[in-house]
Amino acid sequence: MPPSIHPVDLISALRQKHLTPAIVFLTSRRACDEAMQAFDHNEALLPPARQEAIAAVLDDVIAQYPSIAEHPLIPTVQRIGVAAHHAGHLPSWKIAVEELMRHGCLDAVFATTTLAAGVDFPARTVIITQSSIRKARDFTDLTIGEVQQIAGRAGRRGKDLVGFAIVTPSPYIDLAVLTKGFTGHPEAINSQFVITYPMVLNLLKAHPLDQMQSILAKSFAQFQLNQRAEVLERKLDDVHRQMEPYGPRVCTDWISQWHMFDQVRRQRSHRAPAKNHEPPEVAARFRFLTPGRVTGLSKARGVVLRQYRSKGQKSPMVTLLRPGGAITECPAAIVTDVFDRMLECKEAPSYPWCTPESLESLLQDLEDLPTRLPTLPILVSKDDEPIPDAVVQTLGDFSCPTCPSRSACQKDYLNASKLRQEQQRHMKSIQALRTSLWHRFQERIEALQKFGYLTATAQLTEAGEWARLIRIDHSLLITELIRSEAFTGADPSLLAAVMSSIAHDDDRPGLFPRISAGLGSLLGQVRKLAESLAPYEEPPLLRADIAAVTERWIADPQLTWIGLCKMTTMAEGDIYRLLARTLEFLSQLHTLKDTHPALADCASQAMAVLRRGVLEELP
Amino acid sequence: MTTDELEKLLAQQPIALLHRLARGRVHRHFRAGKRRLIELLLRHSAENRAGFESDLQALIGERKSQRPEPPQLRHQAPLSPRTDHQSRRPHPHHEPDSHEPSVSLAEWLAGIGVPTPQPFVPDPWQDDALDKLETGDVIVSVPTGSGKTYVAVEAARRAMEDNRTVIYTSPLKALSNTKYTEFSRIFGADLVGILTGDRRDNGQAPLLIMTTEILRNLLYDAAGGEIDLRLDTLGLVIMDESQYLADPERGVVWEETIIFCPSQARLLLLSASIGNPHDIADWLTSIRPVPCHLIKHSKRTVPLRAGYLHPDGKLTPLFRTIGIPHGHPGHWHPEAKRLFARYEDETMPSGRRR
Repeated sequence: MPPSIHPVDLISALRQKHLTPAIVFLTSRRACDEAMQAFDHNEALLPPARQEAIAAVLDDVIAQYPSIAEHPLIPTVQRIGVAAHHAGHLPSWKIAVEELMRHGCLDAVFATTTLAAGVDFPARTVIITQSSIRKARDFTDLTIGEVQQIAGRAGRRGKDLVGFAIVTPSPYIDLAVLTKGFTGHPEAINSQFVITYPMVLNLLKAHPLDQMQSILAKSFAQFQLNQRAEVLERKLDDVHRQMEPYGPRVCTDWISQWHMFDQVRRQRSHRAPAKNHEPPEVAARFRFLTPGRVTGLSKARGVVLRQYRSKGQKSPMVTLLRPGGAITECPAAIVTDVFDRMLECKEAPSYPWCTPESLESLLQDLEDLPTRLPTLPILVSKDDEPIPDAVVQTLGDFSCPTCPSRSACQKDYLNASKLRQEQQRHMKSIQALRTSLWHRFQERIEALQKFGYLTATAQLTEAGEWARLIRIDHSLLITELIRSEAFTGADPSLLAAVMSSIAHDDDRPGLFPRISAGLGSLLGQVRKLAESLAPYEEPPLLRADIAAVTERWIADPQLTWIGLCKMTTMAEGDIYRLLARTLEFLSQLHTLKDTHPALADCASQAMAVLRRGVLEELP
Repeated sequence: MTTDELEKLLAQQPIALLHRLARGRVHRHFRAGKRRLIELLLRHSAENRAGFESDLQALIGERKSQRPEPPQLRHQAPLSPRTDHQSRRPHPHHEPDSHEPSVSLAEWLAGIGVPTPQPFVPDPWQDDALDKLETGDVIVSVPTGSGKTYVAVEAARRAMEDNRTVIYTSPLKALSNTKYTEFSRIFGADLVGILTGDRRDNGQAPLLIMTTEILRNLLYDAAGGEIDLRLDTLGLVIMDESQYLADPERGVVWEETIIFCPSQARLLLLSASIGNPHDIADWLTSIRPVPCHLIKHSKRTVPLRAGYLHPDGKLTPLFRTIGIPHGHPGHWHPEAKRLFARYEDETMPSGRRR
């Protein structure tokens, strides 16, 4: 089942309801061309009078732009009064279609949604077939502004009483996007300010460095950043107001003071829980298991060589010397009795934890001990003792535990520290908003200094003086190419070909003529340079096939437009735009005639050849 | 009803019904398959279970009452959508706020035609914009096709009568060409010139047309000391389609041009409807020597109506009202709603007619 209405049915439905002329917005150029082909076998012809009117208007346009005299679409347009209008067509053909619309000769025009802004002719009706458009390889929903821009073409002032925007569904359409677009308020627009190399050079040419910040402050970008900063400042004021009750106390900066104190306290209390797990009698006994203490084990006796806490669990451990000389590490819980007897023990910092002499004597003494020994009376307290204030104080020299505002600090700390974090965050963002443009500007200055377009004091060098005249995309690549003499001795066709591959930013695939060896090696050189510049400037696509098209057009002045179009599968309009953009880039090179006469001359030769046939028709 | 029961009930329903249920609840529900849709609906229903269940029951009820209808329904004359079967069918849930009857197709189509030729009388806002230009810069933000060109032409005419140069910029070369032809027709070919990167046609004319990039370059040249053209006598700069300020790639050129526009020249920015024109006016006021006035309205000169055309050729109004119900995107015409639901039902990969 065809998921959308057939173009022929669409037009006849519109005609029947007197909704013509109409602009039908379709997804792609191909959809427009297919819609036109759908009329190939259509029997419904225009009345002769209207066909003549179309012919008359077309004759006028052809007189001005002879290139479209043979346009393959002319017979169809005349027969059925419907045309296609998209970026794949020559500008002169688009002018012809617009002219026909203006005279009211056409019933419908198929156009692409992508170029709604470029469709500068109104109609009674617009037909919308989709709710999303392809932007950067992905489909995104139409914005309210875009829907209104499209719908805005409906209704011709002075020719219509009402205009109609009609939705006809195609697969994956979301009607909600469109109804929102019709009824909503358009989105706010945002600055897209970027700092380019030519901008920096031209500004520094005309103004001293110390004025730059005030010039950048005049941008809409900074205006919008300031707006955001003001919102934050209002929030900051609010935070300040909330912070009022948390002003200076006994210490001026009591929040950080309490923060540190709290952290130390926490660290202490981290250690504490380990103690809590051990039975109270072990804890109580552990204090007496000091080196030299004689203990009773389940079967024998032992002497404590050292006491420590295990690394992970912090459980109480002892190192015991057993009769026979064995030295063992045991948990303190293994000790069954603590005897009221200490042996002479000289401690040492490493295994066996005492001096060899004392180990000998200890072993001897252990053998010589009487069979009965008095045990030490150890009091086991059931409750945790409170930490003595003295101990806490030695932990970090804090006055907090004894401070009169201690309870207030403890109560307010959480709120106050949260507020203060917020305050610091806002202050940082405000700072960033106010200075980000200037930082980016400085980055550009540094790069330009590195490449020698600016002196250390940000004055234009000799190279900077001419480089500022190149005010196009990829300007750094182009000026670096000129400085590396890549174009010395290149003939006009090579220069133009390289320029067009730098200028072209579309990755539509297609079939293209073969590339010459000279151009291939030159492009290789350009590509290498572009890659080395990648940290400073986004490298262009540098398509060799695109360069080949331009090379053919310049190298062979006898080549006709039709001949060129036959060499590639690129659409006419795309070839036109490619060459027009190349012309623009070449004309920038031409402005270097004072410093690089040979290059400027080469560029103007290329321009002279390039500007022929179709390209001559429009200024 | 437990969640399991609800899930089972949902699974029994045709997908079209699920999509209607999902409308307004699940974002981009039309992309989801049946299983995923049920999952999303269940997740959503957690918020307002009672409302969800009652909507579901209403839809099921509606569907049952619809079923015995003869299939030739779709071939019925589209002229009056409020026929018997329409009024018989209740709309209990998805149109709670429709008290007035929806507009009929005949009413909606009424009034097509060509207005009787009338002598041109400028709209008040057009006069207003021209007056305000006497005392400062002006930004005009009005819907497409309301007559911005008239303001541009009159402003240019007045400036030229004062012996000042006018520059008109457009974002696209193609638009420049169109304007060149149009202005040459209005003012005479010798008064209008066009500048492109490499070519100058009548470059000394008092009204110059160029793309914004070219003007930016001229301004840089002037700032750098190479006086070019007639910038000293420049009295007015008209920037068409200034919403390009927000263009990701070229927007910066508009900003540069506005920042470096000579202070003695007035700026006239023409823009389609945008959300924050007052921001731009405030910005201009803050950086230019004269205040910037904002001329803004959203009323179209030619009223707009929105319609829905079903692939079978049936035409119906899109909204319940004859015009566009601003601020109420949900005021769909019941017929458009029904047809579109059917369309979604038919084109859904998993939702072929069962």
